Amino acid sequence: MADAAPLPPTNGDMSGAVGAWNWDIASRLLVADARFASLYGLDPAAAAAGLPASAFFEPVLEQDRLRLRIAVAGALRGAEVFARDYRVLLDGEVRWVSARGRTYFDETDTPTRFAGRLTDVTEQKRLEERLRIAQTAGGVGSFEYLSGYGTADVSDEFCRLLGLHTAKSLPVRTINSVVHPDDPPIIQGRDGSGALGTAFHEFRIHRADTGEERWLASRGEYRPADRGGVSFIGVIYDITASKRSEAALRLLTETLEERVEARTQERDRIWNLSGDLLNIIEPDGTQRAVNPAWKRVLGHDEAELVGRSMECLIHADDLPLARTRLEALARGEPVAAFDTRLRAKDGSHRWINWTGMSDGETIYGIGRDVTQRKLLEEQLRHSQKMEAVGQLTGGLAHDFNNMLTGVMGGIDMARMLLAQGRLEDVDRLLEASMQSGQRAAALTHRLLAFSRRQALDNQPLDVGTLIGSMQDLLRRTLGEQVELHIDTPFELWTTLADESQLESAILNLAINARDAMPDGGRLTIAARNASLSEADLAGSDQAQPGEFVEILVTDTGLGMPPEVLAKAFDPFYTTKPVGQGTGLGLSMIYGFVQQSRGHVAIESQEGRGTKIRLYLPRHDGGSEGEATPEMPTAITGSGEIVLVVEDDPAVLRLMLDALRELGYRTIETASGKEAVPILQSRRHLDLLISDVGLPGLNGRQIAEIARQIRPDMPVLLMTAYTRDAGDEAGFLAPGIEVMQKPFSIDQLGRRVTRILRSPHGNSSAGVG
Amino acid sequence: MTSLIVPLDDLERDALTELVNIGVSRAAVSLRKMAGEQVLLSVPAVEVVTRRGATTLIRERESGALIAVRQDFAGVFSGRALLIFPESNSMALVRSVTAGSLSAEDAAELEDEALAETGNVVLNSCLATMANMLQKPLTMSLPEVVRGDGSALFDLTLSNSEDAVVLFLYINFAINDREIRGYIAMLMDLPSIEALRGLIAEFIARVIGDAM
Amino acid sequence: MGTTVLIVDDSKLARIVLSKAVAALQPEWRRIEASNAEEALAKVASETVDVAILDYNMPGRDGLSLAEELRERFPEMPIAVATANLQDEIIARARAANASFVPKPVTEDGLRGFVSGAALRLRSPRA
Repeated sequence: MADAAPLPPTNGDMSGAVGAWNWDIASRLLVADARFASLYGLDPAAAAAGLPASAFFEPVLEQDRLRLRIAVAGALRGAEVFARDYRVLLDGEVRWVSARGRTYFDETDTPTRFAGRLTDVTEQKRLEERLRIAQTAGGVGSFEYLSGYGTADVSDEFCRLLGLHTAKSLPVRTINSVVHPDDPPIIQGRDGSGALGTAFHEFRIHRADTGEERWLASRGEYRPADRGGVSFIGVIYDITASKRSEAALRLLTETLEERVEARTQERDRIWNLSGDLLNIIEPDGTQRAVNPAWKRVLGHDEAELVGRSMECLIHADDLPLARTRLEALARGEPVAAFDTRLRAKDGSHRWINWTGMSDGETIYGIGRDVTQRKLLEEQLRHSQKMEAVGQLTGGLAHDFNNMLTGVMGGIDMARMLLAQGRLEDVDRLLEASMQSGQRAAALTHRLLAFSRRQALDNQPLDVGTLIGSMQDLLRRTLGEQVELHIDTPFELWTTLADESQLESAILNLAINARDAMPDGGRLTIAARNASLSEADLAGSDQAQPGEFVEILVTDTGLGMPPEVLAKAFDPFYTTKPVGQGTGLGLSMIYGFVQQSRGHVAIESQEGRGTKIRLYLPRHDGGSEGEATPEMPTAITGSGEIVLVVEDDPAVLRLMLDALRELGYRTIETASGKEAVPILQSRRHLDLLISDVGLPGLNGRQIAEIARQIRPDMPVLLMTAYTRDAGDEAGFLAPGIEVMQKPFSIDQLGRRVTRILRSPHGNSSAGVG
Repeated sequence: MTSLIVPLDDLERDALTELVNIGVSRAAVSLRKMAGEQVLLSVPAVEVVTRRGATTLIRERESGALIAVRQDFAGVFSGRALLIFPESNSMALVRSVTAGSLSAEDAAELEDEALAETGNVVLNSCLATMANMLQKPLTMSLPEVVRGDGSALFDLTLSNSEDAVVLFLYINFAINDREIRGYIAMLMDLPSIEALRGLIAEFIARVIGDAM
Repeated sequence: MGTTVLIVDDSKLARIVLSKAVAALQPEWRRIEASNAEEALAKVASETVDVAILDYNMPGRDGLSLAEELRERFPEMPIAVATANLQDEIIARARAANASFVPKPVTEDGLRGFVSGAALRLRSPRA
């Protein structure tokens, strides 16, 4: 082994036993010394004399053998450097050995022998493994540097801490290049002139892989090296966390006062400048502080608010909601944003959206004025309603076409039979046509109620009598499961309303109530006199404060959750299965009540039932006795003269025929132009019947002219689509009535008879 | 950390390491003859990394400017071989291989040309030895001298993506008594790695079969 | 009449090294150089060349293909291919063209066998 070329450097010093081998490639003979023999468990004499080269693999642990053979194969084929650590099994004990060797060549560059040294590194392996685990677990990286050299020996963890690829040695430049330029480098004293002894310093790095800034500390020792120069051996570890908390703490103490001052100013500014209402409230609702926005938004001075309960500003309808939210806040529960109306100084109300927070003792409120938004929402809702109407119209056209087909088809058939002289079936066909027509009329009636364009036949009405008369109908409708209670005092005021509409509304509500009580329950229909203030009527666009007759329909049914309640009056909104309801019920009631200048209120709690209140204005005109009784059976005239204005020839012909049939005399005109001279003439007239929609003077104008010329002559206006009449329903001058088209001859007859027999009609006379 | 993407198993890795070891040893013999000096080699390292990974690997070990002679090879497997050393070593290497043939002035003039020829000899002997071991011929391009950082050196024409996986083999060498050190590196893309795998298996079978 | 040796290599350094080695072995030989195959063929056309040493790896035509062409035209000319590409089939092709294989890097020792063999062959027909 004397001529062995310099071996490559090995890790650590070889403290274990060192043996030597020489493998002659041509003869395949392995010669080894006694040390090698003892490490391999070979007979020293035989090893010295030469063994078959396969002896090199014999004691090697199975798992390591193949890899060793490949490495040796490389060496035998000219790989110069051989370095391999592997395990041998000796007397049942596993030992780690480290083989370092090289291949030697002859002058023709042919490999001749493979020789090297074998070291027992069992102990070293164990220490290395421990050190590796210690470094990895502790996040400690070690390094060793010898002054004057360009590279330093480093551990894997060292590389990992700096974000470098792991390597056994790294250029000092590479190591120091990750250090922050303002901080001392990791490897110092490269010329070996620094002081000996321990050293400690802290520094920032930018990790080579991610660029992240970290704080590291280095602790080490400068010692004179064996080979001359100075060695610097040490460790590095991460101190970022403690550095950061240290820095944060320092900053905190240095700037605490300044920041407290600054924050206070900042908060004052927010408090003062905020456009939102800010307040601080005691758990009982007393306001402790309010910001200037209260003055700007609502007009109230701070002095008027502080020390008083917030509740005195909240709209009565919103109070229950506000109370539950305040109570929840007082208990420290989180509360989602909610809206309430607050009374402003000028008496108007503003919608405020509240966010509340509580620290258990004090409630902090932030209120934003959302009145504008509410308004927009209302408009949006309305436009959505209109869109829905549009959708409905399409469906209605379809239904109407079907009904018209029934009407026209029946008439057509009847005409055919008449032409053939088959009179026996005509009546049946006409009856079918009539039913189709009536169905269509009923549908338009309902629709117009919904769209508030129905010409209401408002009359003084005793609600108690009406409800009483409905008892039988209601009981039949409700069935045996539902107990009906009716509670109507005798001293109930008279109201002004369309009787059939009110009847239909009450019936609808009763049906809804029945459906809400599938397992039975109690339905109470009550009526009483009530006075409503402006506050009570907030949200109503038709009713004026004053006296009303209140009709309460209360059930003990399922009730409605808030989201259903909110939409209860929306058209087509229904919770019933498809086919069981149009969804028009409540909205039609709403339309009818609004049109009657009344008000509707609904209260419901899930599982607790629903209470609906209808308010109809008190009729201040007449006494109960004035309630018009339905006319007696006789519907024939006795030669009274009726002036008819109608531009549609078919309708005109029909009406003239009908009136004559009923025993009236008629004067026909097609327009105001023709009618006015007749009105102005001295001719005796008992009644004017006019269509509203006419070319030139419309029906209303003709009626007005008639009132001036003949104040006592009754007028009956007919309308198919009564925008004007509808909006003014109930407010027509006395003696002018409106009749909704279409109508049957029977209806016309009854109406005319009633008008002519009423006091106005009776006193009718010619001009002069 | 250099992530290993294609798992060459331990045995394949060992065999490949030995193949490179044999080739580089042959190259070291050539370099020794040219420089007339002892050439020391490290144990080769074999890693499958991205091209970017190979770049940072070299850059962390060598923070200065680099110079390289590169030669592409093609055959059953293809790739690029590089002889890399710090630019500051370049003239020392040139002087070392031209000592006795050229004056210092001439050597300086011929720097690139001398480097190219050195690379040609070193890389050819390495690759040819490996080809012989694997019993598959390789054709080799003319040598080319490149200066720049790692990314310029590893600019593989085979695959343009920075993320392309390459087999990165490198070995340190140092010329005794002179401040000359460097790397021999080999880059191969995935298809070549797969092809190489088959050849390695054959190689293993051969050497295990007749090792003794 | 002296012996002329043609040294073909694209590397100037390689030509210098080759030339030096030849000079050390056969100082009286006249040495001419070419840096690629075309130049080499031009030289051969314009003057008498007795011995050729060709680099294998050159831009344009490689040394083996040049050796094959020269062999056709000069069946007796001693030709060597110098290369570090010591792949078995390169060596086999050189042999097939009846050319010697000289490993690079070229040394006096490495070249001695070819040069002395060539000198012997050139002398024998004349002797």
